[in-house]
Amino acid sequence: MSSIVPTMRHVRGFDIVRPLSVGLLMFMMLPLVFLPLASIFIFGTSNGLDKFWAALMQPEAVFALKLSMATSFWATAFNVIFGLFAAYVLSRYNFWGRNALIVTISLPTAIPTAVAGFALLLLWGPYGTLGRLLTPHGIQLMFTAGAIILANIFVTFPLAFGVIKPVFDTMSRSLEEASATIGATRWQTFWHVTLPSLRGAIVSGALLTFARAVGEFGSTILVSGNLAGRTQTAPLYIFAKFNEGQIEAANAIAIVLALFSFLIFSVLFFARDWLDVD
Amino acid sequence: MKAKEKFVEEHRMSASSDKAPPIATSVIGLSKRFGKTGVLENISLDVAEGEILVLLGASGSGKTTILRIIAGLEQPNSGRIILHGRDVTELPARERGTGVIFQSYALFPKMTVEKNIGYGLRIRRRRRKEIRQTVDELLSLVQLEEHRKKYPSQLSGGQQQRVAIARTLAYKPEVLLFDEPFGALDTQTRTHLRREIRALLRRVNVPSIFITHDQEEALELGDRVAVINKGHIEQIGTPYEIYNQPATEYVATFLGAANILEAVVKEGFVETECAKIPAELDPKVYSAGDRIKIVFRPEDVLLSRTDFLKPGHFKLASARVEEVSFVGAYERLRVRLEQPGEECVDGETPYYLTTETPERRPRSIIATRPKPEAVAARLKIGDRVVVAVTSFTVLRSA
Repeated sequence: MSSIVPTMRHVRGFDIVRPLSVGLLMFMMLPLVFLPLASIFIFGTSNGLDKFWAALMQPEAVFALKLSMATSFWATAFNVIFGLFAAYVLSRYNFWGRNALIVTISLPTAIPTAVAGFALLLLWGPYGTLGRLLTPHGIQLMFTAGAIILANIFVTFPLAFGVIKPVFDTMSRSLEEASATIGATRWQTFWHVTLPSLRGAIVSGALLTFARAVGEFGSTILVSGNLAGRTQTAPLYIFAKFNEGQIEAANAIAIVLALFSFLIFSVLFFARDWLDVD
Repeated sequence: MKAKEKFVEEHRMSASSDKAPPIATSVIGLSKRFGKTGVLENISLDVAEGEILVLLGASGSGKTTILRIIAGLEQPNSGRIILHGRDVTELPARERGTGVIFQSYALFPKMTVEKNIGYGLRIRRRRRKEIRQTVDELLSLVQLEEHRKKYPSQLSGGQQQRVAIARTLAYKPEVLLFDEPFGALDTQTRTHLRREIRALLRRVNVPSIFITHDQEEALELGDRVAVINKGHIEQIGTPYEIYNQPATEYVATFLGAANILEAVVKEGFVETECAKIPAELDPKVYSAGDRIKIVFRPEDVLLSRTDFLKPGHFKLASARVEEVSFVGAYERLRVRLEQPGEECVDGETPYYLTTETPERRPRSIIATRPKPEAVAARLKIGDRVVVAVTSFTVLRSA
């Protein structure tokens, strides 16, 4: 995946356009991305690392981070397995309604997350279409960690699928046919031949899903109930502490989340070669 | 079911009653339709133990479909596939034990050379020691010992192909099926690999079916060649038979340039335009007055400046040289037959001459001459020559 960028050269000698355009790009990035990120770190560490550490070690903060990681993990696990299955079915079989299904799977990308959360409430809430039937049995899905996972699944649904499906589509059928003629069962072929070729797509799909789920706010705030120490995820914690005026507490978590997403994208970017080739 | 077994049994009996090597693979009455378009109709062929059969045909002739049906990657509408006496028509690909060498080789990109070769044994859950031993043997057979730890992307096309063959040999396939194996290679590598693979197949003695659209490849590689046209077999025979005694006009023209001349059967000879060529035709097949076509190759044509011909050469007509081109190993000429004089038209039907070349010009004949002859008796455009043939084949006019 290493790419070579050819240098544009219209004239011999010094090309003034190059430093100018690179400079302009950097200048534009400054207020849009660099400065906001930098201010988190500057503000968060301005009172010393002890204060930062103390804010981070608040029981509610630790709980919020753990809850975010756990719910994101389960949502990711579900969506990767489901995305793999959906990609397999939709690229291997041709059937009536196939394109409609592809569009439906990709739909959550375009739905505002608040709408997604609201929709889940209307379905599973105490007075919701299905929730109404469950409440008498003492089953309450909304305002629990399960609700957060459900919302995460809904919102990050198309991500892993979207990464895995193109790899399936471009994979040569003759590899699987060769495996079959050699004597492998469908399952052996999938395990030994298909899956190894998908490894890179699965890892990057999982990382994307996880990163997106950890940061999810709009749907989570509606379905979780936002109870500190019980259903409050890290982004909700930031929002709550900010509303209470505890900027340091909010900032400590913000730093952790920013570093975390930075880490994930570094892995995605730099481990590409390793993931695709061997 | 009973009838099928009986059929198979009889088939095996008839195969072993011959002195020829036993039949390893049979295709019987194969037909295949995709939707409403027929792709194959009533294809039957046998491959003997250790034999190489080449299926030769233009693209879209259905030859690849035959291969895929034998491998079990496609289901026929009717017909049977017998591998070493076992009817496998209803079996899925993985239970047939065929070895397919795909055009792109289809090596598993995430496995090393030795993992690729050992794959068939690993999924059969053989002992690790046995797998290692077989892989070692095969690596030395295809001379890739020093590449065992490499990945397919690090190998050349020829090496990849050898890995693909070794990968199938590991589980002792019933038959090897090659799908245009040299398609992706340049001419030089092709010729080299072709000979290498033929030698390899001679050593392992596994019956093989090759698919190609390259007539030169078919003639060099095959013990026998089956020419496929629009889903049916035009002719099966040794390369010599296919080339020198084509059964149909299609076969004649598909295997290189052929001159085709209309003629009429007479007692003891065939008559064309103003020439009478002595020919002993089977009286059971041809009787006097039958309209036929005589087919001869450019290298069967002899051009001479005089009427004096050596014995065994039969004069066709006189002609004028129209085109001379030098094509490397030989000289290629086009001559145009002159209008027959009045003395040789006796009011009968006119005769036509066609040459199966891309140009397909009537009344012109393509001849080739080896270099020494071309140098010894130079011909240039406009020269008058006498056209004679040394040998020809007779086909019935449609």
